[in-house]
Amino acid sequence: MLKQLTGKDLFELFDKLAVDYRLLVPGNLADDTRSLLPWDGQQLSLIGEPLQRKPTSHFFPQTDPLLTINSQGTTSLPDDNEKPLALCGLNREDLHGITFVDRFFSAVPADDAYLRKRTDALLIGLAGFAGADRQLLPLAEGHCDFELIYDQQKWLAVAYTATGEDWLTVYADGSAEQLEIIRQQARQRSTPEAELLQQASHLLQADQVPDIFWEEIAARCICCGGCNFVCPTCTCFCMQDRQTATGIERSRVWDSCQLDAFMREASGYNPLGTETLRTRRRIHHKLAADPHRWGELGCVLCGRCDRACPTGIGMFSICKEIVQQFGF
Amino acid sequence: MNATLTTCPYCGTGCNFYLIGDENDRLIGIEPAGKDPTSRGQLCIKGWDAHAFVHHHDRLKTPLLRCDGELQPCSWDTALQVIDQRLHKVSAQYGPDSLMFLSSAKVSNEENYLLMKLARAGYGTNNIDHCARLCHSSTVTGLMETLGSGAMTNSLNCFEDTDLVFVIGSNTTEQHPLIGSRILQAQQRGTKLIVADSRRIRLAGQADLHLRHQNGSDVALLNGMMRQILQDGLEDRAFIEQRTENFSAFRESLDSFTPEFAARISGLSPKQIIAAARTYAQAENAMIVFAMGITQHSHGVDNVRAVSNLALLTGNLGRPGTGINPLRGQNNVQGACDMGALPDVYTGYQRVSDPVAKQKFAAAWQKPLSDSPGLMATHAIKAAAKGEIRGMLILGENPMLSDANQKLVRKGLESLDFLAVIDIFPTETAQLADLVLPAACYAERDGTFTSTERRVQRGRKAVEPPGEARADWQILCELLQRRGIPADYADPAEIMAEIADLTPSYAGISYPRLEGNGLQWPCPSMEHPGTPILHEEQCTRGKGHFSPTIYRPPQELPDAEFPFLLNTGRTGIHWHTGSMTRRSHLLDREERNAFLEINPEDAGKLNIRERQQVRISSRRGTIEAGAMLTERVPPGQIFIPFHFAEGAANILTNNALDPESGIPEFKVCAVKVETC
Repeated sequence: MLKQLTGKDLFELFDKLAVDYRLLVPGNLADDTRSLLPWDGQQLSLIGEPLQRKPTSHFFPQTDPLLTINSQGTTSLPDDNEKPLALCGLNREDLHGITFVDRFFSAVPADDAYLRKRTDALLIGLAGFAGADRQLLPLAEGHCDFELIYDQQKWLAVAYTATGEDWLTVYADGSAEQLEIIRQQARQRSTPEAELLQQASHLLQADQVPDIFWEEIAARCICCGGCNFVCPTCTCFCMQDRQTATGIERSRVWDSCQLDAFMREASGYNPLGTETLRTRRRIHHKLAADPHRWGELGCVLCGRCDRACPTGIGMFSICKEIVQQFGF
Repeated sequence: MNATLTTCPYCGTGCNFYLIGDENDRLIGIEPAGKDPTSRGQLCIKGWDAHAFVHHHDRLKTPLLRCDGELQPCSWDTALQVIDQRLHKVSAQYGPDSLMFLSSAKVSNEENYLLMKLARAGYGTNNIDHCARLCHSSTVTGLMETLGSGAMTNSLNCFEDTDLVFVIGSNTTEQHPLIGSRILQAQQRGTKLIVADSRRIRLAGQADLHLRHQNGSDVALLNGMMRQILQDGLEDRAFIEQRTENFSAFRESLDSFTPEFAARISGLSPKQIIAAARTYAQAENAMIVFAMGITQHSHGVDNVRAVSNLALLTGNLGRPGTGINPLRGQNNVQGACDMGALPDVYTGYQRVSDPVAKQKFAAAWQKPLSDSPGLMATHAIKAAAKGEIRGMLILGENPMLSDANQKLVRKGLESLDFLAVIDIFPTETAQLADLVLPAACYAERDGTFTSTERRVQRGRKAVEPPGEARADWQILCELLQRRGIPADYADPAEIMAEIADLTPSYAGISYPRLEGNGLQWPCPSMEHPGTPILHEEQCTRGKGHFSPTIYRPPQELPDAEFPFLLNTGRTGIHWHTGSMTRRSHLLDREERNAFLEINPEDAGKLNIRERQQVRISSRRGTIEAGAMLTERVPPGQIFIPFHFAEGAANILTNNALDPESGIPEFKVCAVKVETC
């Protein structure tokens, strides 16, 4: 289904969505950090820089209460929200991140805490000339209920699910020709990062990157954990048990495989006891292990770790150094 | 979901982040501020975890009054009446100077100002101080003398403009991670890096030169370097002539510091000292970065003077990419000093002994004021142990773990007639109090904080405090009013307006102007844009003053009975006495127990294995901790972080004080190590 919407249509659509969903749309926080914010009927900033916080955080939050054990020993789950989430303004990389994490949490044994938030949620993609400075964002061609594509005048909308079609059905048909032009332009856009990561992945899988390289990278790491916390495909968590007024609350909190205690055994022995080993493992997981497990890289090219790393050793930077030093 | 922009509660870097809250008024995460000039979308591990302690069940929720030896809940009315009457009773019986007020580098500028006002106008004493006494009091004393301002001279963005960074006594990547990362990035771009530190810290691994000089030998090292610079003719003669004074006396004072002499004291080779001198002096623009490794010595002020002399000698002052850059520890330690939570100055370093300043504050507050400087925190503990201080109010500090020689601190606090503590957790100090008041934490109140680069920034309330806890400024307003001082401020913005009226360097600061990226002081008028670099045309005091120094060894060095040098400090994971970070799950899991770093060579001689519990003793006490065998420390030295109550490094440390600044010698004392 291909439709087209005016700005006014969009506002009306969001108003209707907000009746059934907790709708979050892109906006600017106080210092202009781009973020998903609750739809208030007025503020909308679809066009702009990528969202800073990974959208997967809405289904897998930094602190995620799982259950409470009361003094009688019975357990209760957190109260369900009345409405499911609807996330709007997700670019192709954001949507790939959600798909990646969906697959992880849905794999046997399925993760009920994640699925409770995710199952009825609505995803709205963003493509076309809607990037920073009207930069062209490629279409996701799926991975969401429908995708909004900006052609510099109006919004084309492509539905990928029945729910998406239901929401769009009332709008006028869009121009397939116009959509194809945008697709073509997006295809012509070079994607050096994707090629870089593939090359780095091949070098890692062929064991062409020596340990000394990881020592040099790890020496520049200040162990902030930011690369993990911002990564849309990172799913590691640890358990936090806390006393509350009503009992013991168990939550899961984001973990970081760059931390020493991530793999430390009770004896103190740590198979990943150095920053060198941990950094190597993290990149190997994304670029060598994930292709074996899932058939694709564990990096969706969103660039968040490169922006969040205080010392400039995010995924793109590391891969660039790998290819420069060990590529052919 | 909601997001509240605020300033990080940990170090003095001044990162901004958003507290992410859920629909139930609970904090569930942190998001770095993407456009903030300091954080730039990045944080350290503590920043990423700064929400985690806020809802911890240990938070103090009601006032607690000691009855029958136990701290028991009481009403706010009772608590405020008790604190007011008991402090007043001590003052009436023993005089105002029998009271001591300890303010906090963790509370806002407004709260520091109010406690300072309470001490001075409410109780008529200048006995007010805070933990800057333990970290950068040597800096404030030393740089006030040489430059006229004790603050960091340059800004954080200067790391992008410099040709060389000389880091001495600062483990920057762990203690100011988002500044350490700027240094690492600069080094990657080709900026030269000299690191002087006995420990092999992360920056040392990237340095062009790593000088592992003996703890406490900084004056010898720096004087040796400066003598060599003069020997080579690498000094900036024009700068010395136009911008400085007392050069001749200073030059003469360096005569004995030959490379060989400096090497003998510092444990370095003469070649290393010569190389460091030439590398530093030949850089077009060089920044000196320092912290506790320079300041926490019985000769801390001399160390700071030597640092200052080095910058003046080479003209590295008043320009982008240069300067003398003390990195302030707590998120508001700069502000607590600026607000006059010090025994000798009002806000903006206006001296209590200056009749004009005294008259100005007395007129504003409508109260008579004392013109004799009060006691330093470290002297006050000793005075309490001797019965000279009888009543104390401690706001958000934990001297039981943070001060040198815990036995003496305990004796001092236990000797008091009355001790009141305002805090967010039941700290080791609160356990000794007669009265404990529950405070709102950083995420639960509004205020301003001043970062290490003198940037005044907003802290904003995101959630309600737990139980009956109140914001410190609200508690202090109640106490001021009970002393008959009007304090009906509607909000902290009104308190800041009063501060601006009385403080020339903050005169242009107001809440509306702080929206955006804050303002760097001095900001003397409402039109002034703030000051990123100090001492540009001339120093704050006029001419930069060369201040000659002589080498004085630490007060207690290893000997046959106590053969190891104990170095203390912090790790990158925990914060100070651990009251917040040890209640943050991820941080607690990362470092759970007290430990000491010991060189494998020494461990081998003592048959100590990795993680083995060992006993460490000094002349003042004994603790136990797990051994971490590491080349980070040189043979003959052990390092213990002071975060852990169960293995408290400050049971061992020596409270030998710098005679001018009153800072204890945390970086050097003698200990022995034995297997348990």
